[in-house]
Amino acid sequence: MSATPAGREPAASAPVMDVERLVSMANQIGDFFAAYPAGQREEGVRNHLRNYWDPRMRTTLLAHVAATGGKGLHAHVLAGARLLGNGAPERAAYAGPPRAEGTGMRARGE
Amino acid sequence: MPIPRKPDGSVTTTCAYCGVGCGFRAETLEGRVVRMIPWKEGKANHGHSCVKGRFAFDYYLHPDRVRAPMIRASIHDPWREVSWDEAITHAAAELQRIQAAHGRGSVGAVSSSRCTNEEIFLMQKFARVALRNNNIDNCSRICHSPTQFGLSATLGAGAASQHFDSILQADVILVVGANPTEGHPVFGSMMKRRIREGARLIVIDPRRTETVDSPHCRADVHLALRPGTNVLVLDSIAHVVVCEKLYHEAFIRERCHWHEFEQWMALVGDARYSPEAVGPEAGLDPEDIRRAARLYAAGPRSTIYYGLGVTEHSQGSTGVMCLGNLALACGMLGREGVGVNPLRGQGNVQGGSCLGSWPHMFSGYRFVTDDAVRASFEHDWGLSLDPEPGLRLPNMFDAALAGSFKGMYIQGEDPVQSDPNQNHIMAAMANMECVIVQDLFLTETAKFAHVFLPGSSSLEKNGTFTNAERRVSMVRKVAQPLAGLEDWQITVRMINAMGYPLHYDHPSQVLDEIARLSPAYQGMSFALIERLGSVQWPCNPEAPQGTEVLHTKAFPRGRANFMLTGYVATTERADERYPLLLTTGRILSQYNVGTQTRRTGNVAWCGEDLLEIHQADAHTRGIGEGDWVSVSSRYGATRLRARISERVSPGVVYTTFHFAQTKANAITSDLSDWATNCPEYKVTAVEVARVQAPVVTEPAVREPAEAPA
Repeated sequence: MSATPAGREPAASAPVMDVERLVSMANQIGDFFAAYPAGQREEGVRNHLRNYWDPRMRTTLLAHVAATGGKGLHAHVLAGARLLGNGAPERAAYAGPPRAEGTGMRARGE
Repeated sequence: MPIPRKPDGSVTTTCAYCGVGCGFRAETLEGRVVRMIPWKEGKANHGHSCVKGRFAFDYYLHPDRVRAPMIRASIHDPWREVSWDEAITHAAAELQRIQAAHGRGSVGAVSSSRCTNEEIFLMQKFARVALRNNNIDNCSRICHSPTQFGLSATLGAGAASQHFDSILQADVILVVGANPTEGHPVFGSMMKRRIREGARLIVIDPRRTETVDSPHCRADVHLALRPGTNVLVLDSIAHVVVCEKLYHEAFIRERCHWHEFEQWMALVGDARYSPEAVGPEAGLDPEDIRRAARLYAAGPRSTIYYGLGVTEHSQGSTGVMCLGNLALACGMLGREGVGVNPLRGQGNVQGGSCLGSWPHMFSGYRFVTDDAVRASFEHDWGLSLDPEPGLRLPNMFDAALAGSFKGMYIQGEDPVQSDPNQNHIMAAMANMECVIVQDLFLTETAKFAHVFLPGSSSLEKNGTFTNAERRVSMVRKVAQPLAGLEDWQITVRMINAMGYPLHYDHPSQVLDEIARLSPAYQGMSFALIERLGSVQWPCNPEAPQGTEVLHTKAFPRGRANFMLTGYVATTERADERYPLLLTTGRILSQYNVGTQTRRTGNVAWCGEDLLEIHQADAHTRGIGEGDWVSVSSRYGATRLRARISERVSPGVVYTTFHFAQTKANAITSDLSDWATNCPEYKVTAVEVARVQAPVVTEPAVREPAEAPA
């Protein structure tokens, strides 16, 4: 087994896809988490982007945040995107809605 | 009339049409399938069948089948027949060339729910070990991905909680956004049987479907809501449950988190979701919402069945969560006769979900970002794997348009026909450098392909399917593959050509690998399925013969979770220019976009798609029965003939999408579910106008296509 994970070239300067589309997708995610209390709301956005978005999509979104201060993003979505600075898949102190999958079919009967 | 000769062979197999997955005895004469006899021992169908599984099988020998691999340099060139070796060597070289020039993430793959569990598993393996990325998706992305997300979030398992037979113990049946008597007929018949025995029926659907009103089937309450208001109406039902204290407190305290329930109660208990507030917005009588809530909560055994009318919305995943919440609140889980059950569209959509054809998950619903999970696959496969999620199917097309995604290996899918906003998809396809299509027919997508690999139908291969009740059944080879290879063999060759050595003598070895790497399939093997006839997952040491009903003692995470399901209206709205809302569905005799059923005698029952329109809307537009009409949206236009119908409300129009010339996806939007990017097929604002009949209609059969599930 090689030591380095199957690499992916660093994201090129060109966006992986239209940034407007990513902004509207991120806001849609934010619309769902808006029902949650502050704190969980941003964590929910952050974890969703971390676990479901290709890293190039996140990079393109974060480049947009860096360049424009997050133009078009709802405030809690922007806050959630900024939490992506911590790269861990699941933050240790995560207190948001349960992640959608993953803990599912362990060996115990359900 | 000559006396038909008796069949000389018989093989028991599984139907590949809808998610019921009926068992059939395929009878052959001199190697050719001559009839399909429903299998009495089949645990999904108990000897019953529908008009598709029973009669629509001879597509497999249709002259349109492609019988040899083909390649071409440009999509404007004619196809050139080549050997399997040349086609596969060329395809692999092209993918490697693109990756060298544009990066590892510039190519991807898509698997199909028309293929077996073993084939779907191998497609994800192809992406992960041959492309060395996670750009792998499957067609449940565009149908039931919200089911997996929403049910996992609430209940902890993204699959039906019950077996089909459970409905025979239900007192109240709630059907949401599904039409089982047409779409899942064998299950629909079982539902009718229970209704004849006295079960009450609630239907939530914009259309007065056959399930609402047909022989032996009449809804006690029909909520004919405005398309796009599912979450609003389901929250309103929850509002009644909460405010009238119809919930099951003991169940919630024992099986859920009480503080989450209180949080949820505060949300849905808000006056915003009272039937009086919701009624006018959703086009409903508030009293009907109350009746539905009371009926469901009273049970004592209430069960939910739902379909794409729930999932294919911008709040599809939220809608599924609403159903999970509702069942939890009323204690309708963990025993016979209750539960939450998706009715899956295609024969193996559940398998598509289970077997890891996802950009973010391996088989067994486990994240690629989870180090321990990834390590188990790395150990088994002997190389390191990409730890980041890949592109989803709609992301691949968006990236192709932006020029960052250049190549795709598509197994048994026809996105140009089946994916939304067709113009957008076609532009994306035309922007790619190498498209490899593996299919039975030259599909719409094949028009944009550079390599065509002729696949095998479900009658020509060995493997397993997982149906909508988690039942894994055998698919057996009845006839020889027309082009020589079963689909799994083609994918293995592709993996080898990409430089990763791999060999299986038989698909049973692939299922053994699946069992090693997927907890729910841990105890599965061909030998076990042969012995028992079929096995429902989870199958493991604690349930060695499989599991009929989920969540009986505990949920997979221990306790279940209430999710907060605030209503957010879709941005796709009717206005002065597009005043009507179009929604879509199926009829009994045809299947999805009809690639197979249109190539059979079933066209005798249904030869074209029709636009159902209410008398009032038709009258103001001067449209009469059978007139040709144009249907235009913000995204495109198409034309078909009108049928004046009382099944739709004023303001709503409806069509099936079985015929390619209907081009239903020329008008659908590219809006999608917030969580999964599942397209919002079920709501499109349109205008309808009477037009002249077309001078030449396109041929009915020569336009092939594959389907959204």
